[in-house]
Amino acid sequence: MLFNSLTFVAFFVIVLALHNAPLPWKVKKTNLLLASYIFYAAWNPPFVLLLWLSTIVDWWVAKGIYATEEKSRRRALVGVSIAVNLGLLGYFKYGGFLLENWQALMTAIGVTWTAPGWNIVLPVGISFYTFQTMAYSLDVYLRRAKPADSFLDFALFVTFFPQLVAGPIVRPTQLIPQFQEPVRANRNQLLWGLGLMTLGLFEKMVIADGALAPAADAVFGADGAVPFADAWLGTLAFAGQIFSDFAGYSTVAIGAALCLGFSLPDNFRFPYAALGFSDFWRRWHISLSTWLRDYLYIPLGGNRKGWHRTQANLMITMLLGGLWHGAAWTFVVWGGLHGLYLGIERFIRERWGDAKVASTAGFRLFLALLTYFLVNLTWVFFRSKDFPQALSMTRAMLGFGAPDGELVLSTFLVTTVIAVTVGMLIVHWFMRNRRLEEVVARSPWWLTGLVWAGMMFLIVITQGTGNAFIYFQF
Amino acid sequence: MPSSTSSSDSEPVYSRRVPEISWPRVAVVAAFLAAAGVGIWEAAWRIGEHYEASYRNSDGQFAEVRRRVDRREPNATVFIGSSRTQFDIDLDVWQELTGVHGIQLALEGSNPLPILTDLADDEDFAGLLVVGITPPLVLMPGIGSRADALERYYNETPSEWASNKLSYPLERTFAFYNPDAALFRLLERQPWWPEREGLPFEAPEVRKIENMRRDRQSDLWNRVEDDPELNQVVTSTWKAILETLPPPPPEEEARAAFETLLANVARDVGKIRERGGEVVFIRPPSSDWFRDFENRATPRERVWEPIVGAAGAVGVHFEDYPELREAHTPEWSHISSRDKAQWTRALVGILKARMAESGVHRPEIGS
Repeated sequence: MLFNSLTFVAFFVIVLALHNAPLPWKVKKTNLLLASYIFYAAWNPPFVLLLWLSTIVDWWVAKGIYATEEKSRRRALVGVSIAVNLGLLGYFKYGGFLLENWQALMTAIGVTWTAPGWNIVLPVGISFYTFQTMAYSLDVYLRRAKPADSFLDFALFVTFFPQLVAGPIVRPTQLIPQFQEPVRANRNQLLWGLGLMTLGLFEKMVIADGALAPAADAVFGADGAVPFADAWLGTLAFAGQIFSDFAGYSTVAIGAALCLGFSLPDNFRFPYAALGFSDFWRRWHISLSTWLRDYLYIPLGGNRKGWHRTQANLMITMLLGGLWHGAAWTFVVWGGLHGLYLGIERFIRERWGDAKVASTAGFRLFLALLTYFLVNLTWVFFRSKDFPQALSMTRAMLGFGAPDGELVLSTFLVTTVIAVTVGMLIVHWFMRNRRLEEVVARSPWWLTGLVWAGMMFLIVITQGTGNAFIYFQF
Repeated sequence: MPSSTSSSDSEPVYSRRVPEISWPRVAVVAAFLAAAGVGIWEAAWRIGEHYEASYRNSDGQFAEVRRRVDRREPNATVFIGSSRTQFDIDLDVWQELTGVHGIQLALEGSNPLPILTDLADDEDFAGLLVVGITPPLVLMPGIGSRADALERYYNETPSEWASNKLSYPLERTFAFYNPDAALFRLLERQPWWPEREGLPFEAPEVRKIENMRRDRQSDLWNRVEDDPELNQVVTSTWKAILETLPPPPPEEEARAAFETLLANVARDVGKIRERGGEVVFIRPPSSDWFRDFENRATPRERVWEPIVGAAGAVGVHFEDYPELREAHTPEWSHISSRDKAQWTRALVGILKARMAESGVHRPEIGS
């Protein structure tokens, strides 16, 4: 079920009540597990079977790995985990894409072959929970952790509803220990959790869906080429939309978990104030970028095998990170651009990183704006439906667009995008080196109350469109 | 090992920081201010704009009503069409005269023929189907703007089903809980936004013109009739929409598409009859500029007559009956809520007579 739905409100009230009822801890955990299955089944009940498959395989695989010192057996077992999880992903997410490309390849070499129809529904959140369970087996294999003691705790770690379908992708070492001892949110945790849920829903319903989605949809849904201004405004709108949508989801997830007494890690840290791309990836979808770092980039050799291997490892990691987002070459290019940016940044940093100018305020502001500019160019590939549209948009944004591009945005949408984008950049810059908790702690209590009330009021009067979160499709 | 999944090991369990402030005080202030804001907002819509609480005409509501065909009432009387069928037929009066409470599946701004096909393919349906024809819309490819409603019926998730049920009490309580009063729609229609030079003209969104009931029948909002300013807004919206319709396809293409349309109608009506059902067509009234436009762009003899002819069905066109012509359509397209009961009585009488004349006997209407 969606966080921005009335069903979730009712569901969460019931879960909260049960979690605070005078019941044994094991019963409460069982309640949470059942609630998580209901949460997932509310989309498509049969897909719960996939969750069970992933849970059971990784539970036994990790136990098997831990029980043996035999290298080949450990390797075979971790191979089972990777094969099952990536197999699920491959079948449901990439099956159609692979067939399409195989057909194109066959055609290119003169073999006439038509791929069979591939109308498989993508199970929501599959990219997230497969990565989470794989991390568990990999951690045990890499001797970073030992298996969970309780199957209930492990099943709850895989399925915990706040972060099940769109992260943060939690590590077993962060969450499983929290299930071992009875926890219940104290009054402050509960209220701060509700505040975070309000903030997340505000980002999703008011900023992403209400203010920015109409402009992004209009520009990226246009039939023909659009002019310079509209191309930029549509892309800025999408940049704000995807941040508010995804960070909004993560914030609700963190808030919902906190209301129950559990702590989830941050997934975003004001990424549009990033100074360069390594900084950007320390602030954007942190749980995925650290997952890719720990389970792909470092095992590939990271930066330990020379300059060329480092650059290649970076590029491989970002290309696969792009492909993780969606089964299309546009996502691969998106990842590739980020890989390229990271490579160039590394090159520049190695040569001129110590230059005095790098620490001046003016240069830092310039660097932040340059990073934001380049990130926006990547969003074009992320959002475009195909390469011709992505190239047409990029040309328009760089000033080489068709002179007869048709305007698509009204004055209202232009104003909204500019106002929200400027506001968002100011907030990100102000918060760059701060934490939300600090800012709230230092603010007058009445101001916090006023802001909270304002967000609740705006959520209610925006009414919401009931749109799914963008990252559900990944 | 650097870390562990066991809390008994040396690493502390991860814990989020909570700002140290007086949370109860903050929460009380926030809840009070938010509730006060919502109360004032509701009052502003009720007092300032004369809004009443009304159902939202959601896809979920359509799916719920559509399910009646499958489960509870396989031999029901079903209405499909566009907003005129939804606004003009009074289901309570229909029930009073026929004993049957109809299933209202008309969708505003939509082409009913794909819904006809859907019902023809539904083995559970063997009742009486009343198809309302609005000439320009019936020529649209596909269902149109409300295509998601049928998709929702087929693919509604348990979560969507539950959200729909939970939404009803809010819909019948809050006047502002209406798409027309949503914040960004409200901002967008304000007159202060200057025109953007070079932007192609786009018809404005249709304002609130109805109050919908739980069974999906709608009443034209009295204010559209009584407030000349709102009436003018609505009629100018109709003009803008009709004047910005895409140009018709080339003659040959249009003819071929219409031939296909007629063949589909004949096929669908045939399927329903084979199962023991029946289909009738109605053409609800329009007036003034709207009617002139329809007569000019989609004349009766080129749209209505061929469709009814292809179906071999009873067809009731408002122009043929004084008692149907007399209904008042304040904004040119829908019958005043004050006249719909009388219009429905007249329609039922005419349908009964026409069906009896044609030798069609249906228990659903008592012909």
